Amino acid sequence: MKNDMINIALPKGRLGDNVYEMFSRAGWRCPEIENPGRRLTFENPETGVRYFWVKPSDVAIYVEKGAADIGVAGKDILLEYSPDVYELLDTGLGRCRMAVAAPKNFREDLKKTLRVATKFPNIAKRHYSSLGRDIDIIKLNGSIELAPILGLSDVIVDIVETGATLRQNDLEVFDTLFEISARLIANKSGYRFKREKINMIKSSLSALKGENND
Amino acid sequence: MVPRTSGELHAALKEVFELAGYRRYKMSKFEEYDLYAKNKDFLVSENVLTFTDLDGRLMALKPDVTLSIVKNCRESEGVEKVYYHENVYRASEKNLGFREISQAGLECVGDVDEYCVCEVLGLAAKSLLSVGRPCELDVSHLGLLCELFDACGLSPEGRSAAVRLIGEKNPSGLKALLESENTEPRIAEKLISLSLIDDEAAEAAKKLRELLKDAVRRENLDLFAETCSFLSEEFGGTVRVDFSTVGDLSYYSGIVFKGYVDGVPSSVLSGGQYNGLMKKMRKSSRAIGFAVYLDLLEPLFETQNSFDADILLIYPPEAAPRVIYSAAKKLSAGGKSVLTVKSEPRGMMFREIYKLSAGGEAVREK
Repeated sequence: MKNDMINIALPKGRLGDNVYEMFSRAGWRCPEIENPGRRLTFENPETGVRYFWVKPSDVAIYVEKGAADIGVAGKDILLEYSPDVYELLDTGLGRCRMAVAAPKNFREDLKKTLRVATKFPNIAKRHYSSLGRDIDIIKLNGSIELAPILGLSDVIVDIVETGATLRQNDLEVFDTLFEISARLIANKSGYRFKREKINMIKSSLSALKGENND
Repeated sequence: MVPRTSGELHAALKEVFELAGYRRYKMSKFEEYDLYAKNKDFLVSENVLTFTDLDGRLMALKPDVTLSIVKNCRESEGVEKVYYHENVYRASEKNLGFREISQAGLECVGDVDEYCVCEVLGLAAKSLLSVGRPCELDVSHLGLLCELFDACGLSPEGRSAAVRLIGEKNPSGLKALLESENTEPRIAEKLISLSLIDDEAAEAAKKLRELLKDAVRRENLDLFAETCSFLSEEFGGTVRVDFSTVGDLSYYSGIVFKGYVDGVPSSVLSGGQYNGLMKKMRKSSRAIGFAVYLDLLEPLFETQNSFDADILLIYPPEAAPRVIYSAAKKLSAGGKSVLTVKSEPRGMMFREIYKLSAGGEAVREK
Protein backbone atom coordinates (compact mmCIF):
# COMPACT_ATOMS: atom_id res chain seq x y z
CA MET A 1 0.00 0.00 0.00
CA LYS A 2 1.32 3.45 -0.89
CA ASN A 3 2.28 5.46 2.16
CA ASP A 4 0.95 8.82 0.97
CA MET A 5 -2.68 7.59 0.95
CA ILE A 6 -4.85 8.39 3.95
CA ASN A 7 -6.45 5.18 5.22
CA ILE A 8 -9.92 5.84 6.61
CA ALA A 9 -11.89 3.32 8.72
CA LEU A 10 -15.65 3.80 8.41
CA PRO A 11 -18.19 2.11 10.70
CA LYS A 12 -20.46 -0.36 8.88
CA GLY A 13 -24.19 0.38 8.94
CA ARG A 14 -26.47 3.41 8.79
CA LEU A 15 -24.04 5.67 10.69
CA GLY A 16 -21.24 4.69 8.29
CA ASP A 17 -23.40 5.54 5.27
CA ASN A 18 -24.04 9.00 6.74
CA VAL A 19 -20.34 9.43 7.55
CA TYR A 20 -19.26 8.54 4.00
CA GLU A 21 -21.93 10.92 2.66
CA MET A 22 -20.38 13.67 4.82
CA PHE A 23 -16.84 12.87 3.59
CA SER A 24 -18.15 12.85 0.03
CA ARG A 25 -19.82 16.25 0.39
CA ALA A 26 -16.63 17.59 1.97
CA GLY A 27 -14.71 16.76 -1.21
CA TRP A 28 -13.40 13.25 -0.40
CA ARG A 29 -15.65 11.26 -2.72
CA CYS A 30 -14.61 7.78 -3.79
CA PRO A 31 -16.58 6.39 -6.77
CA GLU A 32 -15.32 2.84 -6.04
CA ILE A 33 -17.18 2.71 -2.71
CA GLU A 34 -20.45 3.56 -4.43
CA ASN A 35 -20.17 0.36 -6.57
CA PRO A 36 -18.48 -1.93 -4.06
CA GLY A 37 -18.72 -5.43 -5.62
CA ARG A 38 -16.57 -7.78 -3.56
CA ARG A 39 -13.79 -5.34 -2.83
CA LEU A 40 -12.83 -4.64 0.77
CA THR A 41 -10.90 -1.40 0.29
CA PHE A 42 -11.83 1.53 -1.92
CA GLU A 43 -9.37 4.08 -3.28
CA ASN A 44 -9.50 7.42 -4.96
CA PRO A 45 -5.94 8.12 -6.16
CA GLU A 46 -6.92 11.67 -7.19
CA THR A 47 -7.83 12.75 -3.68
CA GLY A 48 -5.41 10.27 -2.03
CA VAL A 49 -7.93 8.54 0.25
CA ARG A 50 -8.57 4.85 0.84
CA TYR A 51 -11.73 3.79 2.69
CA PHE A 52 -12.67 0.50 4.31
CA TRP A 53 -15.69 -0.60 6.33
CA VAL A 54 -15.20 -2.23 9.72
CA LYS A 55 -17.47 -3.18 12.63
CA PRO A 56 -18.27 0.09 14.50
CA SER A 57 -16.66 -1.18 17.71
CA ASP A 58 -13.45 -2.02 15.78
CA VAL A 59 -12.87 1.44 14.21
CA ALA A 60 -10.94 2.68 17.24
CA ILE A 61 -8.71 -0.43 17.25
CA TYR A 62 -7.86 -0.02 13.54
CA VAL A 63 -6.94 3.61 14.19
CA GLU A 64 -5.04 3.03 17.45
CA LYS A 65 -2.94 0.29 15.86
CA GLY A 66 -2.20 2.40 12.79
CA ALA A 67 -3.97 0.21 10.18
CA ALA A 68 -6.13 3.30 9.59
CA ASP A 69 -4.78 6.86 9.84
CA ILE A 70 -8.19 8.24 10.71
CA GLY A 71 -11.67 6.88 11.34
CA VAL A 72 -15.07 7.78 12.69
CA ALA A 73 -16.22 6.18 15.93
CA GLY A 74 -19.05 6.83 18.38
CA LYS A 75 -18.22 8.56 21.67
CA ASP A 76 -19.67 5.46 23.41
CA ILE A 77 -16.95 3.27 21.88
CA LEU A 78 -14.23 5.80 22.78
CA LEU A 79 -15.37 5.97 26.41
CA GLU A 80 -15.77 2.19 26.70
CA TYR A 81 -12.39 1.18 25.25
CA SER A 82 -10.31 4.35 25.95
CA PRO A 83 -8.12 3.94 22.84
CA ASP A 84 -4.93 6.04 22.67
CA VAL A 85 -6.02 8.21 19.72
CA TYR A 86 -6.66 11.87 18.92
CA GLU A 87 -10.29 12.97 18.94
CA LEU A 88 -10.11 15.69 16.33
CA LEU A 89 -13.74 16.58 15.66
CA ASP A 90 -17.30 15.99 16.79
CA THR A 91 -18.99 15.32 13.43
CA GLY A 92 -22.43 15.87 14.94
CA LEU A 93 -23.66 12.67 13.26
CA GLY A 94 -25.39 9.78 15.04
CA ARG A 95 -26.60 11.81 18.00
CA CYS A 96 -28.02 9.74 20.87
CA ARG A 97 -27.31 9.28 24.60
CA MET A 98 -26.01 6.70 27.06
CA ALA A 99 -28.66 6.10 29.68
CA VAL A 100 -29.74 3.96 32.60
CA ALA A 101 -33.17 2.45 31.90
CA ALA A 102 -35.43 0.17 33.89
CA PRO A 103 -39.05 -1.11 33.98
CA LYS A 104 -41.52 1.76 34.54
CA ASN A 105 -42.48 0.54 38.01
CA PHE A 106 -38.85 -0.03 39.10
CA ARG A 107 -37.95 1.16 42.60
CA GLU A 108 -34.28 0.87 43.49
CA ASP A 109 -33.53 -1.04 46.70
CA LEU A 110 -30.36 0.61 48.02
CA LYS A 111 -29.76 -2.25 50.46
CA LYS A 112 -29.16 -4.67 47.59
CA THR A 113 -26.42 -4.97 45.00
CA LEU A 114 -27.79 -3.50 41.78
CA ARG A 115 -27.76 -5.89 38.79
CA VAL A 116 -26.83 -3.99 35.62
CA ALA A 117 -27.04 -5.50 32.14
CA THR A 118 -24.98 -3.72 29.48
CA LYS A 119 -22.83 -3.92 26.38
CA PHE A 120 -20.61 -1.25 28.01
CA PRO A 121 -19.19 -2.71 31.26
CA ASN A 122 -16.44 -0.10 31.65
CA ILE A 123 -18.84 2.84 31.26
CA ALA A 124 -21.34 1.24 33.68
CA LYS A 125 -18.58 0.45 36.20
CA ARG A 126 -17.24 4.03 36.10
CA HIS A 127 -20.71 5.55 36.47
CA TYR A 128 -21.75 3.50 39.51
CA SER A 129 -18.31 3.72 41.06
CA SER A 130 -18.62 7.53 40.96
CA LEU A 131 -21.87 7.11 42.91
CA GLY A 132 -20.27 4.64 45.35
CA ARG A 133 -22.94 2.05 44.43
CA ASP A 134 -22.23 -1.67 44.61
CA ILE A 135 -23.23 -3.35 41.35
CA ASP A 136 -23.12 -6.68 39.57
CA ILE A 137 -22.40 -6.28 35.85
CA ILE A 138 -24.02 -8.66 33.40
CA LYS A 139 -22.19 -8.24 30.09
CA LEU A 140 -24.48 -8.90 27.11
CA ASN A 141 -23.83 -8.50 23.39
CA GLY A 142 -27.34 -7.60 22.20
CA SER A 143 -31.07 -7.39 23.06
CA ILE A 144 -30.17 -5.61 26.31
CA GLU A 145 -33.82 -4.53 26.85
CA LEU A 146 -34.74 -8.17 27.42
CA ALA A 147 -32.64 -8.47 30.59
CA PRO A 148 -34.88 -6.54 33.06
CA ILE A 149 -38.06 -7.94 31.47
CA LEU A 150 -36.92 -11.52 32.19
CA GLY A 151 -35.48 -10.66 35.61
CA LEU A 152 -31.85 -11.09 34.51
CA SER A 153 -31.03 -7.56 35.69
CA ASP A 154 -32.61 -4.66 37.60
CA VAL A 155 -31.53 -1.96 35.13
CA ILE A 156 -29.71 -1.61 31.83
CA VAL A 157 -27.02 0.85 30.70
CA ASP A 158 -27.42 1.30 26.97
CA ILE A 159 -27.63 3.69 24.04
CA VAL A 160 -30.99 5.42 23.67
CA GLU A 161 -31.81 7.09 20.39
CA THR A 162 -35.54 7.88 20.26
CA GLY A 163 -36.64 5.74 23.22
CA ALA A 164 -39.20 3.88 21.06
CA THR A 165 -37.80 0.39 21.85
CA LEU A 166 -37.83 1.20 25.57
CA ARG A 167 -41.45 2.42 25.44
CA GLN A 168 -42.60 -0.65 23.50
CA ASN A 169 -41.14 -2.83 26.27
CA ASP A 170 -42.48 -0.78 29.21
CA LEU A 171 -39.04 0.52 30.09
CA GLU A 172 -38.05 4.13 30.70
CA VAL A 173 -34.91 6.22 31.11
CA PHE A 174 -33.97 6.85 34.76
CA ASP A 175 -30.70 8.68 34.23
CA THR A 176 -28.71 10.08 31.30
CA LEU A 177 -24.95 9.49 31.57
CA PHE A 178 -23.72 11.51 28.58
CA GLU A 179 -24.57 12.59 25.04
CA ILE A 180 -23.11 10.58 22.17
CA SER A 181 -22.13 11.50 18.62
CA ALA A 182 -19.67 10.26 16.01
CA ARG A 183 -16.12 11.61 16.38
CA LEU A 184 -13.30 11.92 13.85
CA ILE A 185 -10.32 10.14 15.41
CA ALA A 186 -6.68 9.90 14.29
CA ASN A 187 -3.71 7.66 15.01
CA LYS A 188 -1.15 9.59 17.07
CA SER A 189 1.84 8.61 14.97
CA GLY A 190 0.06 8.69 11.59
CA TYR A 191 -1.15 12.21 12.40
CA ARG A 192 2.47 13.40 12.61
CA PHE A 193 3.53 12.11 9.23
CA LYS A 194 0.30 12.98 7.37
CA ARG A 195 -0.57 16.08 9.38
CA GLU A 196 -1.36 18.41 6.48
CA LYS A 197 -3.82 16.08 4.73
CA ILE A 198 -5.53 14.98 7.95
CA ASN A 199 -6.02 18.62 8.95
CA MET A 200 -7.43 19.34 5.47
CA ILE A 201 -9.98 16.54 5.93
CA LYS A 202 -10.79 17.75 9.45
CA SER A 203 -11.33 21.35 8.28
CA SER A 204 -13.53 20.32 5.36
CA LEU A 205 -15.69 18.15 7.65
CA SER A 206 -15.78 20.90 10.26
CA ALA A 207 -17.15 23.31 7.65
CA LEU A 208 -20.07 20.91 7.06
CA LYS A 209 -20.68 20.24 10.76
CA GLY A 210 -23.06 23.15 11.16
CA GLU A 211 -25.36 21.53 8.61
CA ASN A 212 -25.44 18.29 10.67
CA ASN A 213 -26.47 20.21 13.75
CA ASP A 214 -29.41 21.85 12.02
CA MET B 1 24.72 4.09 9.00
CA VAL B 2 21.06 3.04 9.18
CA PRO B 3 20.64 0.14 11.66
CA ARG B 4 19.33 -3.12 10.15
CA THR B 5 18.70 -5.03 13.37
CA SER B 6 17.69 -4.15 16.92
CA GLY B 7 21.27 -5.02 17.95
CA GLU B 8 22.62 -2.39 15.55
CA LEU B 9 20.09 0.14 16.84
CA HIS B 10 21.20 -0.56 20.40
CA ALA B 11 24.82 0.01 19.35
CA ALA B 12 23.82 3.30 17.66
CA LEU B 13 21.98 4.49 20.79
CA LYS B 14 24.92 3.48 22.99
CA GLU B 15 27.18 5.63 20.82
CA VAL B 16 24.76 8.59 21.03
CA PHE B 17 24.67 8.35 24.84
CA GLU B 18 28.39 7.68 25.38
CA LEU B 19 29.50 10.52 23.10
CA ALA B 20 27.71 12.84 25.52
CA GLY B 21 29.63 11.31 28.43
CA TYR B 22 26.78 9.22 29.85
CA ARG B 23 27.89 6.11 31.76
CA ARG B 24 26.19 2.72 31.48
CA TYR B 25 24.08 1.91 34.55
CA LYS B 26 23.73 -1.84 34.95
CA MET B 27 21.16 -2.93 37.45
CA SER B 28 19.77 -6.04 39.02
CA LYS B 29 16.58 -7.54 37.59
CA PHE B 30 14.86 -7.37 41.00
CA GLU B 31 13.80 -4.57 43.31
CA GLU B 32 11.74 -4.52 46.50
CA TYR B 33 8.04 -4.41 45.60
CA ASP B 34 7.45 -1.56 48.05
CA LEU B 35 9.11 0.91 45.63
CA TYR B 36 6.51 0.19 42.94
CA ALA B 37 3.58 -0.06 45.35
CA LYS B 38 4.29 3.52 46.49
CA ASN B 39 4.58 4.87 42.93
CA LYS B 40 1.97 2.88 41.01
CA ASP B 41 0.74 5.92 39.06
CA PHE B 42 4.21 6.41 37.59
CA LEU B 43 4.16 2.93 36.04
CA VAL B 44 2.72 2.22 32.58
CA SER B 45 0.83 -0.76 34.05
CA GLU B 46 -0.05 -1.28 37.71
CA ASN B 47 0.53 -5.03 37.49
CA VAL B 48 3.94 -6.09 38.75
CA LEU B 49 5.45 -9.59 38.74
CA THR B 50 6.31 -10.41 42.36
CA PHE B 51 7.93 -13.22 44.32
CA THR B 52 9.02 -13.77 47.92
CA ASP B 53 12.79 -13.80 48.35
CA LEU B 54 14.52 -16.33 50.59
CA ASP B 55 14.65 -13.81 53.45
CA GLY B 56 10.89 -13.21 53.25
CA ARG B 57 11.02 -9.84 51.44
CA LEU B 58 8.44 -9.29 48.69
CA MET B 59 10.43 -8.60 45.52
CA ALA B 60 9.42 -7.57 42.00
CA LEU B 61 10.86 -8.10 38.55
CA LYS B 62 11.54 -4.53 37.42
CA PRO B 63 8.58 -3.02 35.54
CA ASP B 64 10.48 0.30 35.23
CA VAL B 65 14.06 1.55 35.31
CA THR B 66 13.69 5.23 36.28
CA LEU B 67 12.37 4.50 39.79
CA SER B 68 15.40 2.34 40.60
CA ILE B 69 17.87 4.94 39.30
CA VAL B 70 16.19 7.73 41.27
CA LYS B 71 16.11 5.60 44.41
CA ASN B 72 19.81 4.82 44.16
CA CYS B 73 21.14 8.20 42.99
CA ARG B 74 23.53 10.08 45.27
CA GLU B 75 22.29 13.60 45.73
CA SER B 76 25.47 15.24 46.95
CA GLU B 77 27.48 14.58 43.81
CA GLY B 78 26.53 17.34 41.36
CA VAL B 79 24.79 15.80 38.40
CA GLU B 80 24.69 12.12 37.58
CA LYS B 81 24.36 11.23 33.89
CA VAL B 82 23.66 7.58 33.20
CA TYR B 83 22.17 5.44 30.43
CA TYR B 84 20.76 1.93 30.47
CA HIS B 85 19.67 -0.92 28.25
CA GLU B 86 17.55 -3.27 30.31
CA ASN B 87 14.65 -5.65 30.08
CA VAL B 88 11.56 -4.70 32.07
CA TYR B 89 8.55 -6.87 32.86
CA ARG B 90 5.06 -5.49 32.32
CA ALA B 91 1.52 -6.72 31.83
CA SER B 92 0.61 -6.49 28.16
CA GLU B 93 -2.20 -4.33 26.85
CA LYS B 94 -5.65 -5.53 27.96
CA ASN B 95 -3.82 -7.59 30.61
CA LEU B 96 -3.28 -10.65 28.43
CA GLY B 97 -0.24 -11.76 30.43
CA PHE B 98 3.22 -10.40 31.28
CA ARG B 99 5.84 -9.52 28.70
CA GLU B 100 9.58 -8.94 28.74
CA ILE B 101 10.27 -5.57 27.10
CA SER B 102 13.63 -4.26 25.96
CA GLN B 103 14.16 -0.62 26.87
CA ALA B 104 17.07 1.80 26.47
CA GLY B 105 17.23 5.30 27.83
CA LEU B 106 19.01 7.79 29.99
CA GLU B 107 18.54 9.74 33.19
CA CYS B 108 20.15 12.99 34.27
CA VAL B 109 19.69 13.41 38.03
CA GLY B 110 20.97 15.97 40.54
CA ASP B 111 21.90 19.57 39.87
CA VAL B 112 20.02 19.66 36.53
CA ASP B 113 20.34 23.08 34.89
CA GLU B 114 18.98 24.43 31.59
CA TYR B 115 21.99 23.06 29.71
CA CYS B 116 21.17 19.53 30.97
CA VAL B 117 17.58 19.95 29.76
CA CYS B 118 18.72 21.03 26.28
CA GLU B 119 21.30 18.22 26.20
CA VAL B 120 18.71 15.54 27.05
CA LEU B 121 16.25 16.90 24.46
CA GLY B 122 19.06 16.89 21.90
CA LEU B 123 19.97 13.29 22.79
CA ALA B 124 16.30 12.30 22.46
CA ALA B 125 16.21 13.83 18.95
CA LYS B 126 19.50 12.11 18.03
CA SER B 127 18.16 8.77 19.35
CA LEU B 128 15.14 9.08 17.06
CA LEU B 129 17.28 10.11 14.09
CA SER B 130 19.50 7.07 14.65
CA VAL B 131 16.56 4.80 13.67
CA GLY B 132 17.07 6.07 10.10
CA ARG B 133 13.41 6.72 9.25
CA PRO B 134 11.28 9.87 9.19
CA CYS B 135 10.80 10.83 12.81
CA GLU B 136 9.51 13.61 15.02
CA LEU B 137 10.14 14.69 18.61
CA ASP B 138 7.21 16.54 20.17
CA VAL B 139 7.89 18.76 23.15
CA SER B 140 5.54 20.44 25.58
CA HIS B 141 5.73 22.18 28.97
CA LEU B 142 3.46 21.04 31.80
CA GLY B 143 4.57 23.94 34.00
CA LEU B 144 3.06 26.45 31.56
CA LEU B 145 -0.12 24.36 31.28
CA CYS B 146 -0.43 24.17 35.07
CA GLU B 147 -0.03 27.96 35.43
CA LEU B 148 -3.00 28.38 33.09
CA PHE B 149 -4.95 25.66 34.97
CA ASP B 150 -4.42 27.76 38.13
CA ALA B 151 -5.57 30.91 36.33
CA CYS B 152 -8.65 28.99 35.11
CA GLY B 153 -9.40 27.96 38.72
CA LEU B 154 -9.78 24.30 37.74
CA SER B 155 -10.76 21.75 40.39
CA PRO B 156 -8.46 18.69 40.84
CA GLU B 157 -10.92 16.59 38.77
CA GLY B 158 -11.09 19.40 36.20
CA ARG B 159 -7.30 19.41 35.87
CA SER B 160 -7.19 15.65 35.20
CA ALA B 161 -10.01 15.95 32.67
CA ALA B 162 -8.28 18.93 31.00
CA VAL B 163 -5.01 16.98 30.66
CA ARG B 164 -6.92 14.07 29.08
CA LEU B 165 -8.78 16.33 26.62
CA ILE B 166 -5.64 18.26 25.68
CA GLY B 167 -3.89 14.91 25.09
CA GLU B 168 -6.75 13.95 22.74
CA LYS B 169 -6.49 17.22 20.73
CA ASN B 170 -10.15 17.71 21.61
CA PRO B 171 -10.76 21.48 21.83
CA SER B 172 -14.57 21.18 21.81
CA GLY B 173 -14.42 18.84 24.82
CA LEU B 174 -11.99 21.20 26.56
CA LYS B 175 -14.27 24.17 25.89
CA ALA B 176 -17.26 22.32 27.38
CA LEU B 177 -15.18 21.37 30.44
CA LEU B 178 -14.00 24.96 31.00
CA GLU B 179 -17.60 26.19 30.74
CA SER B 180 -18.71 23.62 33.31
CA GLU B 181 -15.89 24.83 35.61
CA ASN B 182 -17.07 28.45 35.19
CA THR B 183 -13.72 29.59 33.82
CA GLU B 184 -13.43 33.22 32.77
CA PRO B 185 -13.84 33.15 28.93
CA ARG B 186 -10.66 35.17 28.26
CA ILE B 187 -8.47 32.71 30.21
CA ALA B 188 -10.36 29.72 28.79
CA GLU B 189 -9.63 30.98 25.29
CA LYS B 190 -5.91 31.22 26.14
CA LEU B 191 -5.83 27.63 27.43
CA ILE B 192 -7.66 26.33 24.34
CA SER B 193 -5.23 28.23 22.06
CA LEU B 194 -2.25 26.85 24.02
CA SER B 195 -3.61 23.30 23.72
CA LEU B 196 -3.74 23.74 19.93
CA ILE B 197 -0.11 24.82 19.50
CA ASP B 198 1.46 22.26 17.17
CA ASP B 199 4.28 23.97 15.25
CA GLU B 200 7.94 23.82 14.42
CA ALA B 201 9.89 24.87 17.50
CA ALA B 202 10.89 28.39 16.34
CA GLU B 203 7.36 29.25 15.18
CA ALA B 204 5.94 27.85 18.43
CA ALA B 205 8.32 29.99 20.51
CA LYS B 206 6.96 33.12 18.78
CA LYS B 207 3.35 32.05 19.30
CA LEU B 208 3.97 31.22 22.96
CA ARG B 209 5.53 34.60 23.70
CA GLU B 210 2.55 36.32 22.11
CA LEU B 211 -0.11 34.11 23.70
CA LEU B 212 1.28 33.78 27.23
CA LYS B 213 2.80 37.20 27.94
CA ASP B 214 1.32 38.39 31.26
CA ALA B 215 -0.44 35.01 31.71
CA VAL B 216 2.43 32.94 33.14
CA ARG B 217 5.68 33.59 35.00
CA ARG B 218 8.07 35.40 32.66
CA GLU B 219 11.01 33.21 33.72
CA ASN B 220 9.26 29.95 32.76
CA LEU B 221 8.14 31.34 29.42
CA ASP B 222 11.59 32.76 28.54
CA LEU B 223 13.39 29.53 29.43
CA PHE B 224 11.02 27.39 27.38
CA ALA B 225 11.09 29.78 24.41
CA GLU B 226 14.92 29.74 24.54
CA THR B 227 14.91 25.93 24.59
CA CYS B 228 12.56 25.92 21.57
CA SER B 229 14.87 28.26 19.64
CA PHE B 230 17.88 26.05 20.43
CA LEU B 231 16.03 22.91 19.28
CA SER B 232 14.92 24.63 16.09
CA GLU B 233 18.49 25.71 15.25
CA GLU B 234 19.94 22.26 15.96
CA PHE B 235 17.27 19.93 14.64
CA GLY B 236 15.01 21.95 12.32
CA GLY B 237 11.64 20.35 11.62
CA THR B 238 12.47 17.12 13.48
CA VAL B 239 11.45 18.84 16.73
CA ARG B 240 8.01 20.37 17.12
CA VAL B 241 6.21 21.93 20.03
CA ASP B 242 2.90 20.12 20.47
CA PHE B 243 0.96 20.80 23.65
CA SER B 244 -1.07 17.61 23.23
CA THR B 245 2.08 15.91 24.58
CA VAL B 246 1.16 15.46 28.23
CA GLY B 247 2.05 13.32 31.26
CA ASP B 248 0.96 12.66 34.81
CA LEU B 249 0.97 16.00 36.64
CA SER B 250 1.97 14.48 39.97
CA TYR B 251 5.26 13.17 38.52
CA TYR B 252 6.14 15.41 35.61
CA SER B 253 6.52 19.15 36.19
CA GLY B 254 8.26 21.00 33.36
CA ILE B 255 9.19 19.83 29.88
CA VAL B 256 7.69 16.55 28.63
CA PHE B 257 8.32 14.98 25.25
CA LYS B 258 7.43 12.02 23.05
CA GLY B 259 9.09 10.67 19.93
CA TYR B 260 7.48 9.08 16.88
CA VAL B 261 8.93 7.12 13.97
CA ASP B 262 7.06 6.68 10.69
CA GLY B 263 5.71 3.13 10.47
CA VAL B 264 5.23 2.63 14.22
CA PRO B 265 1.66 3.42 15.36
CA SER B 266 2.49 4.77 18.83
CA SER B 267 5.22 6.83 20.47
CA VAL B 268 8.57 5.03 20.63
CA LEU B 269 10.26 7.47 22.99
CA SER B 270 8.88 9.15 26.07
CA GLY B 271 10.41 11.37 28.71
CA GLY B 272 10.40 14.58 30.67
CA GLN B 273 11.41 16.48 33.79
CA TYR B 274 10.14 14.38 36.66
CA ASN B 275 10.80 16.70 39.60
CA GLY B 276 7.42 15.66 41.04
CA LEU B 277 8.64 12.07 41.32
CA MET B 278 11.85 13.29 42.99
CA LYS B 279 9.79 15.16 45.59
CA LYS B 280 7.59 12.11 46.20
CA MET B 281 10.75 10.09 46.79
CA ARG B 282 12.02 12.78 49.20
CA LYS B 283 14.88 13.86 46.97
CA SER B 284 15.63 17.54 46.76
CA SER B 285 17.40 17.48 43.39
CA ARG B 286 15.91 17.72 39.89
CA ALA B 287 15.79 15.12 37.15
CA ILE B 288 15.09 14.59 33.46
CA GLY B 289 15.27 11.46 31.34
CA PHE B 290 13.69 9.39 28.62
CA ALA B 291 13.17 5.81 27.51
CA VAL B 292 13.24 4.35 24.00
CA TYR B 293 10.86 1.39 23.56
CA LEU B 294 13.01 -0.94 21.49
CA ASP B 295 10.29 -3.62 21.28
CA LEU B 296 8.06 -1.22 19.32
CA LEU B 297 10.84 -0.59 16.80
CA GLU B 298 11.56 -4.30 16.22
CA PRO B 299 8.89 -4.79 13.49
CA LEU B 300 10.71 -2.20 11.35
CA PHE B 301 13.82 -4.34 11.27
CA GLU B 302 12.03 -7.61 10.63
CA THR B 303 10.75 -6.34 7.30
CA GLN B 304 14.20 -5.12 6.29
CA ASN B 305 15.87 -8.52 6.91
CA SER B 306 13.73 -10.54 4.53
CA PHE B 307 16.15 -13.54 4.21
CA ASP B 308 16.49 -16.18 6.92
CA ALA B 309 19.96 -17.15 5.65
CA ASP B 310 22.11 -16.26 2.64
CA ILE B 311 22.34 -19.83 1.36
CA LEU B 312 20.27 -23.01 1.70
CA LEU B 313 22.24 -26.20 1.06
CA ILE B 314 20.10 -29.34 0.53
CA TYR B 315 21.95 -32.64 0.76
CA PRO B 316 20.79 -36.16 -0.16
CA PRO B 317 20.21 -38.54 2.79
CA GLU B 318 22.98 -40.87 1.62
CA ALA B 319 25.68 -38.14 1.51
CA ALA B 320 28.63 -38.58 3.87
CA PRO B 321 28.85 -36.01 6.70
CA ARG B 322 32.39 -34.96 5.77
CA VAL B 323 31.28 -34.27 2.14
CA ILE B 324 28.32 -32.18 3.36
CA TYR B 325 30.53 -30.34 5.83
CA SER B 326 33.12 -29.55 3.20
CA ALA B 327 30.48 -28.23 0.73
CA ALA B 328 28.88 -26.05 3.44
CA LYS B 329 32.31 -24.72 4.44
CA LYS B 330 33.09 -23.70 0.84
CA LEU B 331 29.74 -21.91 0.47
CA SER B 332 30.16 -20.00 3.72
CA ALA B 333 33.43 -18.45 2.56
CA GLY B 334 33.26 -14.66 2.84
CA GLY B 335 31.01 -14.74 5.90
CA LYS B 336 27.81 -16.00 4.23
CA SER B 337 25.28 -17.80 6.42
CA VAL B 338 24.47 -21.36 5.25
CA LEU B 339 21.57 -23.49 6.46
CA THR B 340 22.32 -27.15 5.72
CA VAL B 341 19.32 -29.51 5.69
CA LYS B 342 17.94 -32.62 3.91
CA SER B 343 14.78 -30.97 2.55
CA GLU B 344 13.70 -27.39 1.85
CA PRO B 345 12.08 -25.89 4.98
CA ARG B 346 8.66 -24.25 4.57
CA GLY B 347 8.11 -20.54 5.07
CA MET B 348 11.79 -19.52 4.94
CA MET B 349 13.57 -17.25 2.44
CA PHE B 350 17.13 -17.60 1.10
CA ARG B 351 19.19 -15.57 -1.33
CA GLU B 352 20.54 -18.69 -3.03
CA ILE B 353 19.65 -22.40 -2.92
CA TYR B 354 22.20 -25.16 -3.63
CA LYS B 355 21.71 -28.94 -3.94
CA LEU B 356 24.49 -31.35 -3.14
CA SER B 357 24.99 -33.80 -6.03
CA ALA B 358 25.88 -37.48 -5.62
CA GLY B 359 29.46 -36.54 -6.59
CA GLY B 360 29.71 -34.11 -3.65
CA GLU B 361 29.36 -30.90 -5.67
CA ALA B 362 27.03 -28.06 -4.62
CA VAL B 363 24.90 -27.07 -7.63
CA ARG B 364 23.06 -23.77 -7.58
CA GLU B 365 19.29 -24.14 -8.07
CA LYS B 366 18.21 -20.58 -8.83
